[in-house]
Amino acid sequence: MKKFVLSAGLALAAGAAQAADDVTLQLKWVTQAQFAGYYVAADKGFYEEEDLNVTIKPGGPDIAPEQVIAGGGADVIVTWMAAGLAARERGVPLVNIAQPFKSGGLQLTCLKESGISAPEDFKGHTLGVWFFGNEYPFYAWMAKLGLPTEGGEDGVEVLKQAFNVDPLLQKQADCISVMTYNEYGQVLDAGISEDELVTFNYLEQGVGMMEDGLYVMEENLSDDAFKEKMVRFVRASMKGWKYAEENPEEAAQIVVDNDETGAQTIEHQEYMMSEVAKLTAGSNGALDPADYEQTVATLLSAVSEDNPAITKEPEGMAFTLEITDEALK
Amino acid sequence: MSALLAAIAFWLAAWALNAALARSRWRKARVVRIAVPVIFGLAVLVLWQGLVRGLNVSPVILPAPTDIAQTFAGSTHVLWEDFVQTVLKGALTGYVIGSLAAVATAIVIDRSAFLTAGLLPIGNFVAALPIVGIAPILVSWFGFDWQSKAAVVVVMVFFPVLVNVVQGLKETEPMQRDLMRTYAAGYGQTLLKLRLPAAMPFVFNGLKIATTLALIGAIVAEYFGSPVKGMGFRISTGVGRLAIDLVWAEIAVAALVGTAFYGIVAMIEKFVTFWHPSQRVG
Repeated sequence: MKKFVLSAGLALAAGAAQAADDVTLQLKWVTQAQFAGYYVAADKGFYEEEDLNVTIKPGGPDIAPEQVIAGGGADVIVTWMAAGLAARERGVPLVNIAQPFKSGGLQLTCLKESGISAPEDFKGHTLGVWFFGNEYPFYAWMAKLGLPTEGGEDGVEVLKQAFNVDPLLQKQADCISVMTYNEYGQVLDAGISEDELVTFNYLEQGVGMMEDGLYVMEENLSDDAFKEKMVRFVRASMKGWKYAEENPEEAAQIVVDNDETGAQTIEHQEYMMSEVAKLTAGSNGALDPADYEQTVATLLSAVSEDNPAITKEPEGMAFTLEITDEALK
Repeated sequence: MSALLAAIAFWLAAWALNAALARSRWRKARVVRIAVPVIFGLAVLVLWQGLVRGLNVSPVILPAPTDIAQTFAGSTHVLWEDFVQTVLKGALTGYVIGSLAAVATAIVIDRSAFLTAGLLPIGNFVAALPIVGIAPILVSWFGFDWQSKAAVVVVMVFFPVLVNVVQGLKETEPMQRDLMRTYAAGYGQTLLKLRLPAAMPFVFNGLKIATTLALIGAIVAEYFGSPVKGMGFRISTGVGRLAIDLVWAEIAVAALVGTAFYGIVAMIEKFVTFWHPSQRVG
């Protein structure tokens, strides 16, 4: 009898565990405070409260989240809007369901000694750019400035930059791409002081694009069960984000604890968390359609062979407010 | 679904044809020897096309061969630019420098037992360094353009060529060297007229191995920073922009170039070592 009760209890427990809906989230980059909200939500049990069983898959330099979701490896991904829209035009119909990042952290930072003090001075200099879907804002900016990107006197030399700050330290590039919350700190850590640097924020230059948003496949949204699952996922994730904003040190520790590679240090994650909090501040998770319009307009202003993000206005439903409307009720 | 069935039918038919050809009495004929691998390759392509079309595989996961062919034809200027950057500038330069350096080092090593004991292990050590480890270092030393890619290639091809040439220089027998001495030949003459020719089968062995290494080295080194051209650049960034068909077109170019490069070296080998038993026909 005792045995029976025990096994019945186990079966119940197993049944309860199965009842939780599985969600797989594919991140755009490695485990770091850029994604603190999701790790906090998992660690603090916010997902469990919503009856979700969330698997967070870290990304990396050779993982394209758009490809992962197209191959069925994730239910929802974190990516930049330009990359999401580009994927949409190439036959992977991604839909933005939430936008936890209100502003962007992408910047171009230059050494003052190279003689650059304004975008007009870029001519004849070498600029480091990240590719792999992150190059769209850069090419849009150069198109706006009217600078050719093939090098030479009247243009700029483009360098495919690895995801570190070496090219600036070794003076192979006059300017490099940095995120406010990551590489910019690395430049400072390397002993270059802020007044030796000139930094241009893409948003301030009018070529900013929405960064980390949550994207799902359009066909899944016709399924009400999936939609309902995403409502709960977004609600719990945003709770995680707001918690992380308010408790940056605890959030940084949670991120470090979740980093299986052991590569992240608590100091760097605390720095990153404090910077990321500035970007998520002001967003309740709902995408402002005006921000979407701006990203599309910027991309369309710079269509070229180098910048094939999108060539026409996105067709159909590139974003939906349905999920956040429901989640934020 | 019919595309899939048609592809499978074609594959089975090609298989049967190949089996029949291999068993037929013309199997030694030149035409048949070329036809068999061609039919096999065609069958693989048709099966690929059928699978992708029949199962509706998303083009960002695996594009169909016809899509790749279309992209190939439509972007020949990009492919040519990448070919010049990666193959002609990066891989070939590195290959020539690395091979010449290896031959020179091998001759020096051969002159001194002391160096044999000292230099070979260092060469071995360098060869064991992983390319993903040395590539970023060499990129930061030699800059982002093709020079750093050539440097990576030099490191990669040096050791296989060195080991083979050192081995090849040991090939002559004491009797042959004694004979040279009775002709009053000095070291240089013995080296040029006897030992280097005798070493050629080994030298070419190393050179053939180095062809594919050179290509891989040049492509992979471009992952660690490059100007915005080159095969490695295109492959590593194409995935991020979901231009998978362009990535496959680059892979096709790399495969063709690698095969051609190997083939050319093998042809030169045939010409140089005509006397060697392995090259004699009949």
